[in-house]
Amino acid sequence: MDGETETPKVKMAGKGVEVFYGSKQAINGIDLEVYERQVTALIGPSGCGKSTYLRCLNRMNDTIDICKVKGLLTLDGEDIYDPNIDVVELRARVGMVFQKPNPFPKSIHENITYGPRIHGLAKSKADLDVIVEKSLRGAGLWEEVKDRLHEPGTGLSGGQQQRLCIARAIAVQPEVILMDEPCSALDPIATAIVEELIGELREQYTIVIVTHSMQQAARVSQRTAMFHLGDLVEVDDTETIFTNPSEKRTQDYITGRFG
Amino acid sequence: MADTSLTDNNVAAPRHRDIGLKKRYAAERRFQFYGKLAIAFGLFFLALLLWTVVSKGYTAFQQTSINLDVTFDESVIDPKNERNENPMKLLTANYPKLAEAALYEKLGIDAEDKAGTKAADALISKGARAQLRDMLISNPELMNQTVNVWVLAAGEVDSAIKGQFDLSVDESRRKIKDNQLEMIEKLQQDGSLEGRFNTGLFTNGGSSRPETAGVGVAIIGSAYMMLIVLLTSLPIGVAASIYLEEFAPKNRLTDIIEVNINNLAAVPSIVYGLLGLAVFINFAGLPRSASLVGGLVLSLMTLPTIIIATRAALKAVPPSIRAAALGIGASKNQTVFHHVLPLAAPGILTGTIIGLAQALGETAPLLLIGMVAFVVDAPATPLDPATALPVQIFMWANEAERAFVERTSGAIIILLAFLAVMNITAIFLRRRFERRW
Repeated sequence: MDGETETPKVKMAGKGVEVFYGSKQAINGIDLEVYERQVTALIGPSGCGKSTYLRCLNRMNDTIDICKVKGLLTLDGEDIYDPNIDVVELRARVGMVFQKPNPFPKSIHENITYGPRIHGLAKSKADLDVIVEKSLRGAGLWEEVKDRLHEPGTGLSGGQQQRLCIARAIAVQPEVILMDEPCSALDPIATAIVEELIGELREQYTIVIVTHSMQQAARVSQRTAMFHLGDLVEVDDTETIFTNPSEKRTQDYITGRFG
Repeated sequence: MADTSLTDNNVAAPRHRDIGLKKRYAAERRFQFYGKLAIAFGLFFLALLLWTVVSKGYTAFQQTSINLDVTFDESVIDPKNERNENPMKLLTANYPKLAEAALYEKLGIDAEDKAGTKAADALISKGARAQLRDMLISNPELMNQTVNVWVLAAGEVDSAIKGQFDLSVDESRRKIKDNQLEMIEKLQQDGSLEGRFNTGLFTNGGSSRPETAGVGVAIIGSAYMMLIVLLTSLPIGVAASIYLEEFAPKNRLTDIIEVNINNLAAVPSIVYGLLGLAVFINFAGLPRSASLVGGLVLSLMTLPTIIIATRAALKAVPPSIRAAALGIGASKNQTVFHHVLPLAAPGILTGTIIGLAQALGETAPLLLIGMVAFVVDAPATPLDPATALPVQIFMWANEAERAFVERTSGAIIILLAFLAVMNITAIFLRRRFERRW
């Protein structure tokens, strides 16, 4: 851990978070803190609630009618489920990258500028062009697409599309970026590029990543949270989790005995 | 024989098990044959329909006319020179006499020859009156001038030339007599009688004389109705679909609404006619036979089609697009209007055009709101009496004259052409704007 011994600031925190889909409980009371400018990995077998938890952090679960969230979730100490909090503003601060690359069926340029335009982040066309270049550079995509910014984003390769989605997310200058298995639809080379990118993004953004790949969690994250059947089994520094877990279930999972 | 038994043994070896392949392929071939048979069956009847309609109707696009040198003789039209005081004079003048005089001259008939003039008079359509009147009224300079005009021949002449009458029947039982046939032949020989493109079919309104009857009023009525259907049912249908699909909570009430919309699509169209009669005419007091009422009734009928098509188009937009927009902080409304709706637009458009085509071909509800009317003048506004293309076909199909048979088929050709254009547009739009993810 690069010798960072001082305790980092807590960016997002959950206290006693419970999530229900109808009558079925998906998360059974979780306390989890996410530190600023760190990558926090959520791991665990399928159906353990890690994606559900991630989607609570920008209230994407609101779009599911039967989904109910209980408990306290905060961003910089503010309750994000407070009625006074605008969900649109929250999502502008907590961006998201999805499992399957989902660029809009529009040009690369429009993909990036859509967020800044609806949030009024740019005053002129020139401002937008600056944002486009900055975001694409930030996502390591600029050199590959600078000559075809007005071609459709859906024409890129899978890995490029995912980086376009990351660029689109950082174009609205969020504080936190949530990534829901961002590499599961990518080949190993594209995965390596995206992982490297995550390492760079950590300098500016707080990142929470859900992953199925233990190696990926070990490679990109500083902290790892292990979920199982809706419970948080344990959370600790990634190094500790992978070398010296305190729970047997974590040990079993990372050594491949179940999952 | 030993060889054969050896081969048999090999065939019976485990890797050549009998797994019913022959039967399976036979079933597949049989099914393909049935499919081809069904398609051939359908194509045969389509071809039969088109052939029947076109072979009966193509002659309607030609109408026999007679070329005459008509003199607008003031002594016939306005012998006492009172047209300045009495504006009705020019409207009521004896115009047919002018055309008849010109025809006598052409055929060399003595004006005193009662039988000859009577036979010749019957060759000219009664529509010549309106034609000559309109010419003189729009251009009063023509008074006492001689003008070369094509006037319509009578419907019987047209039918005789198109072979719709059996001329071997005894003269006394024919609508067209032998001496008239001689005159026709004479006119044909010097090129003064021929079939000309029938513009009147597209511009004229209702008429009891087949040669001057046209679908003009019906086309205007249908166009008004299509416009009204588009203006009312597209926005209402799309708004309802967007709300139901994207915003409404999924509960019992919305389920009931959904089921009822699907049921409405299956309600017989004549029921919508009754509804329109009760609501728009009896309750709201809108005029009968008006294309406004027809359009509103057809809108009611088209709404479920548009709603179902729009909801299907919205459902077909992948959820990942919505997630992407929401994920960067677009509001629900922005997500729908910036991303979902544009992607659903081709499907909505296709559904709308198909709904409109359905409405264009609808007859039954229009009968109930009085659009089955004999309308001569072109409707200036949607509040004026009008008919519709399919209703015009229905009315002509009830006429007795032979000449209306070809006009009925001609009107069907026109209606089918409109429908084909609309459906081709729908296919084109779908192909052009269809997106893949």
